[in-house]
Amino acid sequence: MAVNTARVQKLRKRQIDGQSLKRLVEAGMTWLRTNQQIVNALNVFPVPDGDTGTNMSLTLTAAYNEIKDSGEKHLGKMANLVAKGALMGARGNSGVILSQLWRGFARAVQDHETLDAETLVKAFAESRDTAYKGVVRPVEGTILTVSKGIASGTEAGLASAAKRDAIDILEIAVKSADESVKQTPELLPVLKQAGVVDSGGKGLFFILEGMLRHVYGEALDTPLISVHALSAMNFENAMQEVEEGQDYEVVVDFFPQGEFDLAKFYGRLEEMGTSIQVGEGDGMYRMHIHVPLEKRYEPIDYVMELGTITKVAMENLLAQMDDISKSTQQQPIKFNAVEPNQIGVVVVSPGAGLSRIFASLGVAAVVAGGQTMNPSTQDILAAFENLPTDKIIILPNNKNIVMAANQAKDVTVKQVAVVPSRTVPQGLAAMLALQPDGEVDAVAEKMTKALSAVKTGEITVATRTVEIDGVSVKDGQVIALLDGKLVVSAGSVEEGCLGFLDKASAMEHEIITLFYGQDMQRNEANRIADIVRAKYPKQEVEVQEGGQPHYQFIISVE
Amino acid sequence: MGEDTTSLGGIHISPGAIATIAYHATLESYGVVGLAPKNIADGIVKSITRDPARGVTVRYNGEDIDIEIHIIVEYGTRINSVAESVGNTVRFHVEKALGLRVNKIDVHVAGLRISDSD
Repeated sequence: MAVNTARVQKLRKRQIDGQSLKRLVEAGMTWLRTNQQIVNALNVFPVPDGDTGTNMSLTLTAAYNEIKDSGEKHLGKMANLVAKGALMGARGNSGVILSQLWRGFARAVQDHETLDAETLVKAFAESRDTAYKGVVRPVEGTILTVSKGIASGTEAGLASAAKRDAIDILEIAVKSADESVKQTPELLPVLKQAGVVDSGGKGLFFILEGMLRHVYGEALDTPLISVHALSAMNFENAMQEVEEGQDYEVVVDFFPQGEFDLAKFYGRLEEMGTSIQVGEGDGMYRMHIHVPLEKRYEPIDYVMELGTITKVAMENLLAQMDDISKSTQQQPIKFNAVEPNQIGVVVVSPGAGLSRIFASLGVAAVVAGGQTMNPSTQDILAAFENLPTDKIIILPNNKNIVMAANQAKDVTVKQVAVVPSRTVPQGLAAMLALQPDGEVDAVAEKMTKALSAVKTGEITVATRTVEIDGVSVKDGQVIALLDGKLVVSAGSVEEGCLGFLDKASAMEHEIITLFYGQDMQRNEANRIADIVRAKYPKQEVEVQEGGQPHYQFIISVE
Repeated sequence: MGEDTTSLGGIHISPGAIATIAYHATLESYGVVGLAPKNIADGIVKSITRDPARGVTVRYNGEDIDIEIHIIVEYGTRINSVAESVGNTVRFHVEKALGLRVNKIDVHVAGLRISDSD
């Protein structure tokens, strides 16, 4: 991070016109986007403004899209375009405030062809005034406070020296923003309780800092540090890239005490090892690092100075890598070996992940199939015949397959009972009632009773516009089915999930399990699970790989 | 809902109390410059009775709480985003204070205030 002095000297001599503003906006946008995760991680509670970093970044991106092809030289006109774009694209609370800041800025510079120090100071003041007008009862300790800090900081800065140029003012603005952001917990108790600074204010700081970094000629695309949500940390991937000499993986969970300086923390860790990841959730931090053998205790000693350690895990990566290469990827699913006079259960499963879960519950064989890919009677029959037992129970797990299962039962000479599970969660619930040594009919009856213990949700995308059961759905919308009945249409998968859980009165149940489909990324599934957890803090929320096609999620509520 | 029975007796939370929470949460939402009465008659009644939550109507609908808010928005903000964040903020504050789920929040934008023309 070296400041390119020659570049700054050159820029100081240049006029700041509309095109310069365009480059500054781009720099602010890029830098904010790079650090979006940090801003998102600052949230105190999931609502009211769930994802400040993303919202601000999208708002500024909309503003930039408005000007990116413009050749406008006039500063005022360009600023007007930025304000217009920000207004049209404003997302969330912080986005609306950001658009108001730009509106004030644009108003202050509208008659100016170029930007000088005085105008910039005036523009910061006008930004603040416009932003404050947008609310009856301004809450201090937010982005509003930071805009005030910038305005008064630059005003004082301009007065303190005889000759300042716009770059000096920008430097002062960044410094004032930083100080102001650090003050926010003192003004807003909820921030202090959570031990964070205001996210919107931090976002505004990143925008200005990005502009300054552009002036300095510093990189904009590498984040200083990054913090993930705990559930988004993916150690499996991290492990596949083991560097030479970094033999030990150390994971430490801890609660920092006093002020926790992430940048410094990263700095120290980088001296020790590689593959550094830091995650945060509910005030607990998790640190992940790969270190050489002789340094394996160093990260632990270091973290101990910072706060209370709750858990330490250390693993020898070389040994792990060995294990992995032995049992590479395609881990064959291990089915329960049935004895000749025991009951063997055959299930129809729509995805590899679900098959694995069924296998772990003691299923003897799996037939692949589900919605839109119903297995034939023949497929099911073959599964019956291949089992070394005469007592068989089949779980079709789909209402369209119940019939094929019944036909297979009629054809085979073996003793078969069909437990009419219509969904995967029902099948899983039935498996819990299995007694391999019982009589087929009695056990099947028990398993059938267990079907009603769960509620099933299926989240998918509508393939046509339709109205069923009073729910109207447009083609391409996300829909949620409760036990096969359409209950919710939504704009996004997470909305669909929440809508379903609401309809299923999940509040009154204990366990929510999300099986994510093959079109879903694990990170995305975890992100949605976090949203669900926030909404249903008393329920246990689990995420499992389902691997089913078409359905983004199959949800079980019990 | 809004009612709870403990061994010592019942707890009843009136719609008016919920409306007050919603009212203050609305005023703290960015982009909202005021609340408006639902209609003239309502406005007169609420002015006379000095209702602390003008512009907010709370109804119990069986088990559910429904809230209706009439707001005035600052001209020049993106109205959609403002209304959406009012809904989020009110829901958050009411649910936090009461521990009850809010079923529905309808936000009506009753008017705009123009504080500057540009």
